[in-house]
Amino acid sequence: MTVSFTRHGLRHGMRRSWPLAVGSFAYGIGFGAMADQAGLAWSEAVAMSALVYAGAAQIVALGIWSDPIPLLAVWLGVFAVNARYVLLGATLRPWLAGLAAHRSYATLGLISDGTWAMALRERTAGRDDAAFLVGSGLALWVAWVSSTGVGHALGAVVGEPRRLGLDFLLPAFCAVMAVALWRGRRDAAPVLAGAGAAALVAHLAAGPWHVVAGVLAGGAIAAVRAPNGSGTHGA
Amino acid sequence: MAPEVLLAILGMAVASYLCRAGGYWAMGFVPITPRLRAVLDAVPIAVMAAILAPIATTAGPAEAAGLVVALAAMRLAGNDLVAVIGGVAAVALVRAVAA
Repeated sequence: MTVSFTRHGLRHGMRRSWPLAVGSFAYGIGFGAMADQAGLAWSEAVAMSALVYAGAAQIVALGIWSDPIPLLAVWLGVFAVNARYVLLGATLRPWLAGLAAHRSYATLGLISDGTWAMALRERTAGRDDAAFLVGSGLALWVAWVSSTGVGHALGAVVGEPRRLGLDFLLPAFCAVMAVALWRGRRDAAPVLAGAGAAALVAHLAAGPWHVVAGVLAGGAIAAVRAPNGSGTHGA
Repeated sequence: MAPEVLLAILGMAVASYLCRAGGYWAMGFVPITPRLRAVLDAVPIAVMAAILAPIATTAGPAEAAGLVVALAAMRLAGNDLVAVIGGVAAVALVRAVAA
């Protein structure tokens, strides 16, 4: 099976994704300001956005950033928050498998929730040019990286960030993302287990381990409550 | 850039790429079971809850007001930027009044 992958598809992806890129830009300003709060230099914040390119995961990393950097916890946090990308990537298999491997694996490096959803709509509408994913991904990447630089520079000139409540940017983003991720009652158990385990571990140990505990507890509850079909026991 | 920061960022980049490419790669030979799907679906929101839990249990009046405003604005307006700005503004306001 062959799939088209053309310059035209790339440009089409860039043009269609501008509303998403505007949102990414605004979000990146917030991330840049948070990175400044967390003590990252301008070049470090911009390099993180350019190489990691995952807003929620980068914000979680800032939440546990300290001196010395808890490397393992930061990396595990990125894995946990980006776990959803495993599913997004899996759904692209039937589409991108028709491309040469270097193209499909390069394209995957640029996927994000918004561009993934938009690209699947394009494909459903009969336009199967996979370069759409690259064009829309590049547009959001440019917006994300440039706005990180702008936000960091703005954060540095504000002065006395606590008075403006800027130390609350990170918790506010996490609360808002939790609402955005909420899919209804089936999420109640993982949320309660994650919050409970995290509160307990935060009480017992300083550092980032409460986040790891929350991931393990939330994931375990979800596994136990999952519909059967994997051959293991469970409800 | 400090070597430690560079190492942290490079590790994050690898983790991020493995998530993006891993599901695609795995689909080449194993199906994603309903159980694995449920775990992958639930973990991101569990992370957010885990970050918020210690903040919520130690919050003062300003932080509590900020959380309530951010959550309520997100439920009502459905716009994440409006909700974040509202939460931050509520914190700044309560601190200004209390000071």
